[in-house]
Amino acid sequence: MARILFDNVTKYYASVKAVDNLNLEIKDKEFLVLLGPSGCGKTTTLNMIAGLEELSKGDIYFDQQIVNFMPPHIRDVAMVFQSYALYPHKNVFENIGFGLKMRKYDTAEIDRRVRDAAERLHIEHLLDRLPSQLSGGQRQRVALGRAMVRQPSVFLMDEPLSNLDAALRISMRAEIKQLHHSMQTTFVYVTHDQAEALTLADRIVVMKDGVVQQIGSPDEIYERPENLFVGSFLGNPPINLLVGELVSDNAGVIFQKGRFKMEFQEEISTKLQPHIGKSVTLGIRPEDVNEQGAAVPGLSVSGTVNTVLPMGSEQYVSMTIEGTEAFFRLGKEHKHKGGDNISLDINRNRLHVFDQETERSLLWG
Amino acid sequence: MTLQSTKFSVPSEKWKYKSKRSERTRSAVIFIASIFLLIYVLAPVGWLLSSSFQSEAEIVSVPPHWLPHEPTMENFNAIFFQEFEEVTYETRRKVDPAAGGYIPSTAKDLLPSMWNSFIISVAVVILNLVVGVPAAYAMAKIRFWGRQASVYTILTTRVIPDIALVVPFFLVIKNLGLLDHVMSLIITYLAITVPFTVFILVSYFESLPDELDKAARVDGCSRLQTLIQVFLPLARPSLVAVMLFAFLTSWNEFLLALMFTQTIASQTLPIIVASFTSDFTISFSFINAAGVVAIIPPVILALFFERYIVSGLTAGAVKG
Amino acid sequence: MSGFYTGLKYTLARRFNYEARSAGLFLFPVMSVLAVVAVFPILYSLYTSFFNLKLTRPHRVPFVWFDNYVKVLSDELFWESVMRTVSFTVMSVVAILILALFIALLLNESFHGRRFISAMILIPWAIPTVANGLLWKWIYDSGYGALNGLLLQLGLIDKYVVWLGDPDKTIPLIANAFVWKEVPLAAILILVTMKSIPVDLYQAARVDGANLLQRFVHITLPSLKPGFMLVMIYETMMAIRHFDLFFLLTEGGPADASHVLSWQIYVETFRNLSFGTGSAMSYILALVTFALAYAIIKMLGRRI
Ligand SMILES: Nc1ncnc2c1ncn2[C@@H]1O[C@H](COP(=O)(O)OP(=O)(O)O)[C@@H](O)[C@H]1O
Ligand SMILES: [Mg+2]
Repeated sequence: MARILFDNVTKYYASVKAVDNLNLEIKDKEFLVLLGPSGCGKTTTLNMIAGLEELSKGDIYFDQQIVNFMPPHIRDVAMVFQSYALYPHKNVFENIGFGLKMRKYDTAEIDRRVRDAAERLHIEHLLDRLPSQLSGGQRQRVALGRAMVRQPSVFLMDEPLSNLDAALRISMRAEIKQLHHSMQTTFVYVTHDQAEALTLADRIVVMKDGVVQQIGSPDEIYERPENLFVGSFLGNPPINLLVGELVSDNAGVIFQKGRFKMEFQEEISTKLQPHIGKSVTLGIRPEDVNEQGAAVPGLSVSGTVNTVLPMGSEQYVSMTIEGTEAFFRLGKEHKHKGGDNISLDINRNRLHVFDQETERSLLWG
Repeated sequence: MTLQSTKFSVPSEKWKYKSKRSERTRSAVIFIASIFLLIYVLAPVGWLLSSSFQSEAEIVSVPPHWLPHEPTMENFNAIFFQEFEEVTYETRRKVDPAAGGYIPSTAKDLLPSMWNSFIISVAVVILNLVVGVPAAYAMAKIRFWGRQASVYTILTTRVIPDIALVVPFFLVIKNLGLLDHVMSLIITYLAITVPFTVFILVSYFESLPDELDKAARVDGCSRLQTLIQVFLPLARPSLVAVMLFAFLTSWNEFLLALMFTQTIASQTLPIIVASFTSDFTISFSFINAAGVVAIIPPVILALFFERYIVSGLTAGAVKG
Repeated sequence: MSGFYTGLKYTLARRFNYEARSAGLFLFPVMSVLAVVAVFPILYSLYTSFFNLKLTRPHRVPFVWFDNYVKVLSDELFWESVMRTVSFTVMSVVAILILALFIALLLNESFHGRRFISAMILIPWAIPTVANGLLWKWIYDSGYGALNGLLLQLGLIDKYVVWLGDPDKTIPLIANAFVWKEVPLAAILILVTMKSIPVDLYQAARVDGANLLQRFVHITLPSLKPGFMLVMIYETMMAIRHFDLFFLLTEGGPADASHVLSWQIYVETFRNLSFGTGSAMSYILALVTFALAYAIIKMLGRRI
């Protein structure tokens, strides 16, 4: 029902540039996640879609229409706030039905929709309570319900799960995904939690300091980060980064840091040809290794295990590579302990190489 | 750090004993302080009340009778029922000081002046809300150009001493043709009440989360609807406080009323009461009765809404 | 794609967007009321302070530059009245601060009857100044007043004393009446600040072994500073401009013992009908108050 377009949008708070020249098209019925650290301008972006913040520069379109100066109550958007912002003086029923009441739906219709939403969110029994009598998870559901009943053309969510405990957060993720599926409308979801972004999104927009870093599907963002920030922001444990140099070798282009060497696959090697001699950061995701017996220089990492962190289904081992501590994720086939000598075969078609100076990926983007 | 270790070295028995004793001292100190405070606050009013029930003969006794020996309602009767009395030899005597009467003929003005005070105060309260609530909401929750400046402007207007305003007020009132009209006081009292109203309400609205405002607007409320549907119901305690302050300020105001009223058409209760005090022929017991009449409504209001006064000031003046 | 709105049209759409229009609408009533009853009078009395405006000869109103101010500032009577205002103010404010601190300390404790007492202290605050005036006038009455009666019964005096009629006692006695009425509000303001001191601060100090007095000196007093400042400035403003009690109790007398600045303005303006010099005096008073108020607004406005 709604496509949203940001055209060169910039937002200043006094002298603080909260959003810097944002160009973004949010497709109809898409689930878009804005991901980035706190203070990067996610909420500001969301507020601009809702009409709660004025733009400093640029235009916002809903479909073909410019909505820069359209106040929020006229835009057909619903929003779930981080603090839920339930009306303290209204009970759950009135909270959920308020948006409909303000839009002059008749009482029977309001009643039907509120009960319908309450049922889907499993809060039918709470309709007479005040927000102060609800738990965090229940409040969160009411906030969702309040947005749901409206069936808006855009559904905005600002870190809706960040105040919940871990278990509830995971189960709510699935429900939100379900909600998107059944509502068939555009969702814009803000989070600083990469796991949430990766599970929910059709597309992710990674932001930092008001600037978009990369836009893409979760796989694209995770597997082909266009810069060092995106590469290191996603992934848990985070990507291992080694600062070294690209040098020429008889095997083609190789990465070298002290005595540590890493060869690249043919295809990648060709891509890196023009960058020989550059100072670069090599990124190895913790999971992109296999355990194997023998150490093969240039194809594997080997060393002494510093610590082992058992994680139940798997284990993380850390080792020092040329002065840099690196974590790797291994299965449970071999039980490791500190002091063991191990060799890990690197999954070389999943390596990342970033220019040390520009921090841009030399492989993609 | 060293102090901390000293504490742990003290045997617990001694602590118990010591705290019990200091608990008793504390209670005693509190009790005595409370008594002194109550006397300080209540004794003057009590004396006023007591002497308002005394007759002229009793009130001039030396030393004074702290409690009336022969309580009389004559002063209050004069205020509340004089209008209905026939003019007889007895009642005539009262208006003639030479004949030993001490109750002035203007006693009959007390009730009408009370009515004026009431009308004025209620009007000021209503206008304060009409004018102050939207302004406070705008200043607290709408980011507009000149917001800070308007806050300062409103606070600044309250800084000028009332007496400096009397002459220009007088001209405004005269040009509006409102001299000796209750409207003149209603208008000028706005100047002394609205800044405070706005200040308290701005502080209160500010303390409500911005996201509540945003939620309402996304839910389809215009700015006015947001104010009425969400902020007003939540602001009830502050609204009560603000209404009370405006009412009491108007009910009690003296200087401006002194300047702008001439006849009972607009004179307020304080003016009538003050007019008694400067007349040496009038009995003090009667004046005190008039004072009691002036005191009762504001005191009842203040006691009834006591908790709102404190919460109103908390939201306003000393917000953390 | 470039902006849909361009140039002036865009600027106007921005300047008069929905938010700005709502704010304008919401502020219009208050601004128009204050323009008439506050801003205009303030400017007008500034204006008259530059004219030799006397109602006794209303048709000749020469513009006299700063003559009114010069005249006022070189008038000995004016300075005497300023000194009386200063002594009244200092006396009152010091007394108010001390009493209010003690009352707040008391009410900050929890004990039976605390609610009752905190309600009762509102009584002086709530009553009209007129009632306050006649109340104290009657207490101070030299013939039949309570003060004489009480002191006599306690044996502190052997015959009735003249109170308000004694020029040395007039200002302190009026200050006492003023303090009695102002103390409750001051106490509540200080109490509210006191209540906002986090309890764990006291607990931490207790753990560190600080005794009651140390806790008071090191925690309570410093944390009360904002409340104290507020009360001090507010009450100073109130005392400097106070008029009602001087009118009700003594009318500036006896002789000129209570002839304070506000009374002087009243006499000059409404008895001598000399609006020019009256306004000039008002303005001097206003400027002094302004300087004080600058502080209060800095303190309060910061939080808005
Ligand atoms: N109302 C405001 N006034 C001033 N600065 C603000 C305001 N709201 C946000 N900012 C600033 O804008 C930047 C982006 O904020 P925000 O969009 O809330 O970030 P996020 O939601 O990603 O944490 C931050 O630096 C923040 O300090
Ligand atoms: Mg945010």
